[in-house]
Amino acid sequence: MEGCGVNQASVSRACAAVLRRDLTLAWRRRGDIAMPVLYALIVATLFPFALGPEDALLQRIAGGVVLVTVLLAMLLALDAMFRSDIEDGSLEQLVLAPQPLALMLAMKILAHWLTTALPLILISPLLAGMLHLPLPVMGVLMLALLLATPMLSLLGAVLVALTAGTRRSGMLLALMLLPLCVPVVIFAAGAVAAAQQGLPWVAPIAWLGAALALALVLAPLACAAALRIALDA
Amino acid sequence: MSKWIPLWLHKLGSPPTFYRFAGTLRPWFLALALIAGAMALYGGLVLAPADYQQGDAYRIIFIHVPSAWMGLFIYGVMAVASFIALVWRIKLAETVAMESAPIGAAFTFITLVTGSLWGKPMWGTWWTWDARLTSELVLLFLYLGVIGLYHAFEDRRQGARAAAFLAIIGIINVPIVHFSVNWWNTLHQGSTVRILGPSKISTDMLWPLLTMMVATKLYYVASLFGRVRADLLELEGGKEWVRRIATGDDA
Repeated sequence: MEGCGVNQASVSRACAAVLRRDLTLAWRRRGDIAMPVLYALIVATLFPFALGPEDALLQRIAGGVVLVTVLLAMLLALDAMFRSDIEDGSLEQLVLAPQPLALMLAMKILAHWLTTALPLILISPLLAGMLHLPLPVMGVLMLALLLATPMLSLLGAVLVALTAGTRRSGMLLALMLLPLCVPVVIFAAGAVAAAQQGLPWVAPIAWLGAALALALVLAPLACAAALRIALDA
Repeated sequence: MSKWIPLWLHKLGSPPTFYRFAGTLRPWFLALALIAGAMALYGGLVLAPADYQQGDAYRIIFIHVPSAWMGLFIYGVMAVASFIALVWRIKLAETVAMESAPIGAAFTFITLVTGSLWGKPMWGTWWTWDARLTSELVLLFLYLGVIGLYHAFEDRRQGARAAAFLAIIGIINVPIVHFSVNWWNTLHQGSTVRILGPSKISTDMLWPLLTMMVATKLYYVASLFGRVRADLLELEGGKEWVRRIATGDDA
């Protein structure tokens, strides 16, 4: 990269600029941040109505329900990750910029995670409490979410980039994300279930962490490649 | 020898040459597939003895297992073709990858349906959240995702490239899903046919199974050739060689 006149300092400046821009944009539209949280709250509220208010049953499904609810809420927000940037053309400028596209996209994904997933993680103890999840398990649930949600953001970003050239992609995104998020859900819910039964829960958490480390490195690269394919018209 | 094989392969990559090549071979593959399929069905449904434990119900294996193999095999073919399409930008590879997807999805669907028909008398349930069943269902979703993404684009070639990328992501995902659902829950019987070492199945049952495997492979090639030919005509619509076929100047 030295040959192109792009040095370390300019890359980190560009990263900071992208991150600041996306966070500022999200802050100017604060209402949008609240939408996934409200959605998760509504979905979690519907479960007791559908299944009956018995404590034992709700307690057993609480961990899984919270995880799936958070996943659905994130899926809802994923669609918007690059949409406005594609519409106003700023994403194309990012592709043309001399800084590595994968890094710039990683910053966009980080901003998206901070504005959609973090509020959901913060609200998750409330959701779990509504479903009577025992207090000691709450920590494991938060930890699982803390590792699972960045995975979903990263995997989702690759798929959103692939659909960047299409008109409507909501349902398609769900169909494409499902096979990718199956392992994430299994391990995250596995950790919560193990903790709830008093079994050791470190193994699934460690798997999640390992997968996240892998995704952190590979997903931005895949996202950049996917975006180049989708915008190459 | 070492020179004309690559040259021939290069020529085969051009749509008109492949169109003619596939047109010549397709009837042969189809005929052989039908013959092998009929032989396998006769061997499996009539000649093979009943299982000492499962009775006659096990005979669905002659459809179920070859379909399951094909579901994975076609995904492999699709991923390899996708890789070639993305790296070398060969139009024919894109077409092969995208036309493989519906055939693979069909085989995966057959596997799931025959599996649930088999599961009802054996396990007493149509569906269970067992590791292999779940992996197979996820495989079907992967296929549907690829097909869906391909059709979401207005530009066919761009759609093919995006879907090819998804197919490659999917093939990394398949072993991960398989591992994780195995960790999660398993009930399905283990493998009985092995490439290395002796199979745990009687020869009377093994040969129809292997014949059916060959038949499904041949059918796949025949079906793929037919689909690719139709697709090439559509993609190359305005070209001279298509016009000549349309006007009947070229057989």
